[in-house]
Amino acid sequence: MTEEILRVEHVSKRFGGVIALDDVSLSVQTGQTCCLVGENGSGKSTMIKVISGVYTPDAGDIYVNEHHYRKLTPLESIHAGIQVIYQDFSLFPNLSVAENIAINQQIASGKQLVSWKEINRIAEEGLAKIGISLPLDAIVRTLSTADRQLVAITKALLANARMIIMDEPTTALTRKEVTALFKLIEELKSRGISILFVSHKLNEISEIADRTIIFRNGKKVLDQDAKHLDVKTMEYYMTGRKIDTDSILIEEISHPSAPLLYVKNLKLSHGFFDVTFELHPNEVLGITGLLGSGRTELALSLFGELPADSGMISISGKEVKIKSIKDAISHGIAYVPDDRIREGLFLEQSITNNIVVSVVNRLIKSIGLLGRKPVRKESDDWIQKLEIKTPSGDLPVKSLSGGNQQRVVLAKWLASNPKILILNGPTVGVDVGSKAEIHELIRGLAREGMGILLISDDIPELLQTCHRILLMRAGRIVQEFKRREITEKTLNSELVGAPLSATRGKRIG
Amino acid sequence: MLSRLLRTNEFVIFVILVVLSIVVGMINPVFFSVSTLFDILRASIVYFIMAFGLLPIIIAGGVDISFVAIAAMTSYTTHMLLLKMGYQGGILTYYLIACAMGVFAGLLNGFLVTRFNLVIFDVSLAAYTMWYGFTLFFVGATANFDLPQGTVGYYANFLVTAQDPVVGETGLHISIIYVILIGLFIWWFLNYTTLGRGVFAIGGNREVAIRSGFNVKRILLFVLALMGVMSATAGVTQAFLSRYFNPVIFINQPLDVLASIIIGGAAITGGRGTVPGTVLGVLLIQVINRALILTGIPVEWQRWVVGVILILFTSIPALRERQAKRVGHTTELTEAD
Repeated sequence: MTEEILRVEHVSKRFGGVIALDDVSLSVQTGQTCCLVGENGSGKSTMIKVISGVYTPDAGDIYVNEHHYRKLTPLESIHAGIQVIYQDFSLFPNLSVAENIAINQQIASGKQLVSWKEINRIAEEGLAKIGISLPLDAIVRTLSTADRQLVAITKALLANARMIIMDEPTTALTRKEVTALFKLIEELKSRGISILFVSHKLNEISEIADRTIIFRNGKKVLDQDAKHLDVKTMEYYMTGRKIDTDSILIEEISHPSAPLLYVKNLKLSHGFFDVTFELHPNEVLGITGLLGSGRTELALSLFGELPADSGMISISGKEVKIKSIKDAISHGIAYVPDDRIREGLFLEQSITNNIVVSVVNRLIKSIGLLGRKPVRKESDDWIQKLEIKTPSGDLPVKSLSGGNQQRVVLAKWLASNPKILILNGPTVGVDVGSKAEIHELIRGLAREGMGILLISDDIPELLQTCHRILLMRAGRIVQEFKRREITEKTLNSELVGAPLSATRGKRIG
Repeated sequence: MLSRLLRTNEFVIFVILVVLSIVVGMINPVFFSVSTLFDILRASIVYFIMAFGLLPIIIAGGVDISFVAIAAMTSYTTHMLLLKMGYQGGILTYYLIACAMGVFAGLLNGFLVTRFNLVIFDVSLAAYTMWYGFTLFFVGATANFDLPQGTVGYYANFLVTAQDPVVGETGLHISIIYVILIGLFIWWFLNYTTLGRGVFAIGGNREVAIRSGFNVKRILLFVLALMGVMSATAGVTQAFLSRYFNPVIFINQPLDVLASIIIGGAAITGGRGTVPGTVLGVLLIQVINRALILTGIPVEWQRWVVGVILILFTSIPALRERQAKRVGHTTELTEAD
């Protein structure tokens, strides 16, 4: 029998009136990849914090390496070999790769002086342990997300980790990078390191998990060997309801005479070349490709943020020039960015203010004042229409879950009544229940006559919403698929099978 | 290796310094003289010292303006105290007493910042006003020219001297040695001590610094006390170079010092900054000063030029980021282009 590295027994934790964890027990074996699954607010994060000693549970016991802890402190947790890799990776963006990796040892050694030779040696050894190479003197800020994650993992390993908890590790990674991460996890496993993989991406979980634990509303609802667990069952346990995704029918649309958007030979140096396509009303057109394939740049060009160098764009049959975001908006184009936190929302501001920000001009009264009533009405309409779950539009956006925040971004742009909606990774970091609802929303918007460009590398997402899918590679559109001609498998191999582009260890910029 | 050196901020400032010097020298050849060089260095001495004291605070993500008030308070109070006691000895006693007061004033800032979790800038704004007020109200409000016997002539204590055809004998003041020693110390402290790396860590990500086990409070106390010492040193040095003690010395200078650090490549948001950059930043502002006098450009222009240069240097990182965004791409793509 393999031994247990961690056992949690009958742990409960409440915050005020909210029960975050309700009598939960779980255990993780040595060298096992255990996936902890659940929607936002299901208690996953609370469990991580209990295990890492950040929260003290109200009741229950924790055993690490058979050692009993009633009250585990963060330091005890680290000494027991538990390392958490948070989504922000806990790195210093302004310091080098080597220093980030070695800094904990430097502090722990109690040495007052710094030997750069020693730091480079520690970092090199650490990276060699997992068989990767990164430029030691590269500043972490300039690395890609995947490389930053590698730095964080190396750092955790050097702290003599016996169990690594990864909190949503694949959120910002491309498919290719996820595959590399999974290979690394296998490697760690073979050395007897346990992984607690926290995620809500079910496809990935069925790929990597030895054992799957599902939380819902603070309770453990499923704990079983991952071998015989399919995505559908996981979805059911996670949400408590059946979500039918495969049977979603993308009905063919008849193309009217004039396309809504016609792009010809569009070019942006260092971005994309010879891009030609058309988008019809009622149509959802998917654009996919690896990170660095030019898909985001294409979206930004159409939205005027990175105006194209040459080529032609016409909207509803009329040629237009898009030189700025203002141009794009005036031609009825809206863009929902992938990084909603940084580019799409004012987190501290109220939901209402976020929704109306793009239509303030329309709501202004003749004397130039902004009336409270029309603002309230506009915002309440959208909150209702998009089913944003909040008691009031006055609450700050940061009080919402990821899925609901994404809806606020959508509401903000839909309020401006766009003809063409560009969505970039609309469900990144959104849990499966909200995801299905956002997909339904996208299909609904298309039915009402909008033309939608959906940029994503989430293959099920593309298949569930798009009429046609364009594949980009190295800045060019290399293939077009009609929805009914393609399956998940073929699209996946087309996407991942593309020649390597975003290579490991290469610095961005 | 070389190409990376060429892309550093330090190199850019260095080029600007050289170009500026050549232009000024062409307009007025007097600029190319040993006496001008000595003159610029002499004027830079106290700015170097204050900038070295402020740099670690900036790197840690703070902004302080109280250092000028601390310089005034420590130097002026020390002088009035010693004057009252009839002190006639050398300059060392001045440095010792003033530095002790500087440590106290720095630690007071540090205590408020760490104990009540306040922002360094807010505390320094209060300390700036308070220390000038304290000096003027409790110590004295007029400049004092009575120097002790042991310090007379110190202003002309030169390391090397040179004959200048126009101004006669000029020299390089001995306190430039202190500047070099302090600069080396700060450079060593920032790059080769765990405490110094902690300063960068705090500026990079304060939360992570705490989580990593850095004693953030102790580090902040240390850099603020260090600033107190540097301010006191600068205050006393300036008084003996100009041969009088001024209760409101440097009152208009905090932003000049801040500007030279920013021009030197430090980020006001913290996490970035170097000693060589700071040295070049101070020199650039002083050369611009001199240049405008020698070329006969009105003084008002000086502020304008410094402003323009600041805009230039603060936008360099943003421009680089933009460029990185645009070309954040695969090699494959660049080859195809």
